[in-house]
Amino acid sequence: MNREIKNVAVLGASGTVGSLIGGLLAQYGLKVAFISRSTERARRGLERAIAQARSEVIAKNIACGDYASLFQQAVPEADWIIEATTEDPEIKRQIYERVEVLRRPGAVISSTTSSLPLTLLAEGRDEDFRRHFLSTHFYNPPGRMLACELTGHEDTDPELVRFMGEYLRRELHREVVPVKNAVAFAGNRIAFVLFSRITSLVERYGVELMDYLIGPYTGRLMPPLATLDLVGLDIHRAIIHSLQTHTHDAMHDWLMLPPYLETMIQRGLLGRKRGAGFYKKLESGKYMFFDPDTCDYIPAIQPHVAFVEKAKHFIRMGKYHKAFETILEAEGKEAELVVSVLCTYIVYAYSLIGEVTPAEHGIAGIDTVMSAGFNWAPPSVVLEMLGGPASVLRRCDAKGLPIPSCQESPKKTPLQILEAAKYFVAK
Amino acid sequence: MTKEPVYILGGYQTDFARNWARENKHICAMMREAYEGSVAATDIDPAEINAAFIGNFAGELYCMQGHLGGFFVDLDPRFKGLPTIRFENACASSAVAALSAVAYIQAGIFDLVCLIGVEQMKTVDSAKGGDYLGTAAFFEKECVDIEFPFPKLFGKLGDEYDKRYGLDDAYLARISTINYANARRNPNAQTRTWFMSYEHAATLGKYNTVISGRIKVTDCSQITDGAVCLYMASRRIAERHAARHGLSLDGIPRVLGWGHTTAPIEFATKVADSANDRYVLPITRKAITDAYQRAGIRDCWDLDVIETHDCFTTSQYMAIDHFGLTEPGQSWKAIEDGTIEIGGRLPMNPSGGLIGGGHPVGATGARQILDAYKQVTGTAGGYQVAGARKVATLNIGGTATTNVVFVIGV
Repeated sequence: MNREIKNVAVLGASGTVGSLIGGLLAQYGLKVAFISRSTERARRGLERAIAQARSEVIAKNIACGDYASLFQQAVPEADWIIEATTEDPEIKRQIYERVEVLRRPGAVISSTTSSLPLTLLAEGRDEDFRRHFLSTHFYNPPGRMLACELTGHEDTDPELVRFMGEYLRRELHREVVPVKNAVAFAGNRIAFVLFSRITSLVERYGVELMDYLIGPYTGRLMPPLATLDLVGLDIHRAIIHSLQTHTHDAMHDWLMLPPYLETMIQRGLLGRKRGAGFYKKLESGKYMFFDPDTCDYIPAIQPHVAFVEKAKHFIRMGKYHKAFETILEAEGKEAELVVSVLCTYIVYAYSLIGEVTPAEHGIAGIDTVMSAGFNWAPPSVVLEMLGGPASVLRRCDAKGLPIPSCQESPKKTPLQILEAAKYFVAK
Repeated sequence: MTKEPVYILGGYQTDFARNWARENKHICAMMREAYEGSVAATDIDPAEINAAFIGNFAGELYCMQGHLGGFFVDLDPRFKGLPTIRFENACASSAVAALSAVAYIQAGIFDLVCLIGVEQMKTVDSAKGGDYLGTAAFFEKECVDIEFPFPKLFGKLGDEYDKRYGLDDAYLARISTINYANARRNPNAQTRTWFMSYEHAATLGKYNTVISGRIKVTDCSQITDGAVCLYMASRRIAERHAARHGLSLDGIPRVLGWGHTTAPIEFATKVADSANDRYVLPITRKAITDAYQRAGIRDCWDLDVIETHDCFTTSQYMAIDHFGLTEPGQSWKAIEDGTIEIGGRLPMNPSGGLIGGGHPVGATGARQILDAYKQVTGTAGGYQVAGARKVATLNIGGTATTNVVFVIGV
């Protein structure tokens, strides 16, 4: 395909996603138009892009403007139009209508959404738009998180998907994960089912204990509820609703928003962007935690569970297998909970091979997106740490979970395990 | 060399982008990962290891932990009782450990030495880290009440070039840009995902401030955590290793030559001593020419790659003429005509060097040797220099107080 990408228009460039993707492209020398509802908002996006690059010189590649002016000028010139507007299908539809009129035939248009069906977004568009419309789902912040899920819809030119995959990989150094055209793709589908499970367990265990038990030592840089505070609980709700509507699988019943979570959202306790969510940071630097029973914040209890502390110690010493042996040998409801959540992660990830990623890729794509998109240990590595398929299958049986399709999973090499060691954090 | 050759059997480098303090890991975890990775990467038989040499600059300061050899014997129950030695020569610690491995092997004392270079530095803030690094200089004279003594001292190296020959800082910016670009090809490089452009390196700004004198942020290698574990072996072990892996002994890299010199510790003394010399740092030059002589090579043009010690852009600028790529004072020519770039006549730091790849000080010498091994065995992946057969490394400690050069080849 003889195609060159030099000029890019980012629609919704004042938001975190749009501005940081646009900034990344500017870092690679592309001319990028930051288009937002006002020039002032677009400039705020520029500031964010500069902070990501840690360099003001990228500004020479970025023009800021609004839909009344820059949009009219930049969209007809753009080789690639990236839509990163608010997660509202009606707003996106209106923008696509305007893009359709101005874009030149053949220009690529991609959406950064993962929670709205691509097929729905393409409805009503002309043939050329539909042939060149696809999803480039970057992870945030793209300066550090390299994963990018890529897919087209039914009418997308397959050659364009192939070209963009190569382009993202070679020119923008992305870890490209080809995915099926299914809502939430691979990463968010797996992670948010896990998040949903954990938010429901909060009712029994509390916020602090849940994040302690499923903490970084289990294979993630950040505990799950702290991650949701970063994502924003309103975004979490939107993704859960989307998954409830558009997916149907063995874990569907686990998709839920506990009443306390709705209360939090109603009260504006959306996470870091509002100063409080599951965690509330005090002026002293200490944290209080949301209590689902009273819907108020309670002081830290600083949990101390023997097997968790022992596992963390082994991780601190670099003895990762010993850490997981400790978890597996531990008894009691906390240990069962940890193993159950980790098994769920593995089971669900493997069960989606072929549904969210091409079957011929095995677990590789899912492994990539969970590590390079979420900073979580890849499912195949966690499988190995939990003793391999036989061990996990035995534990899944015991807990009534569906059997994962990981029997055929090739054993990870010691070097592959070491590559993932950075995700096992002694905290 | 007339003595028995010393072979390098390969090894493993940790990802230099990692922050081990953020992972809340002990320095022994870094040693363990490097060791376990090295066994997996080389398929050596751990039972054959006779000794472990550990290169580490300042574990006592950064981690409140010295005596790292004691952690080595925890890596495998079979290691209990093995001799271990920890080497400290500032940023050249692991190169000096490697030199010692050469000596022990050639003396017939050991057949297989496990060499680990390790440093955990992100445990303290940059001001305190700057103080710790200052102990590699003459602390009382050169570092007291100076926040970042080494940028200041290596800025003076640039000033000395400027005084003697003239120095356009644009060439320093170009050195930085090349190293960052090379680092993008290296999956273990600290800065592989960072933004860099010539314009950024050449421009002062909010994110590229002056650290000291003519040294800006982009002229500096960064604070890095990392470890490297590799194996140095006698002919007997190398032959066995080759047979076990279906290799020819000729295909196993060996130390073709080495140079090792020490200059007065104070930078001003070094410069005063060289006032009438064509080279700004003649004692560094001597380590290089000693290595050439021992390796039986005429000059740098017998080499295919150089991995040099670019702790600052000025130190690489110095290395270019000291290795002999240009006449003294004309390093800019090899930058301007692309000689030092991948694809150029003599690429320098295809790994990204210290500026792009990272500089965990006690691990850097070992990292350079491992990269030399990768280059001459054609296993450097994205940063492979096609057809490389001879690679030189330069690892310096302090302000080029300790200078260690290896020529490694097949």
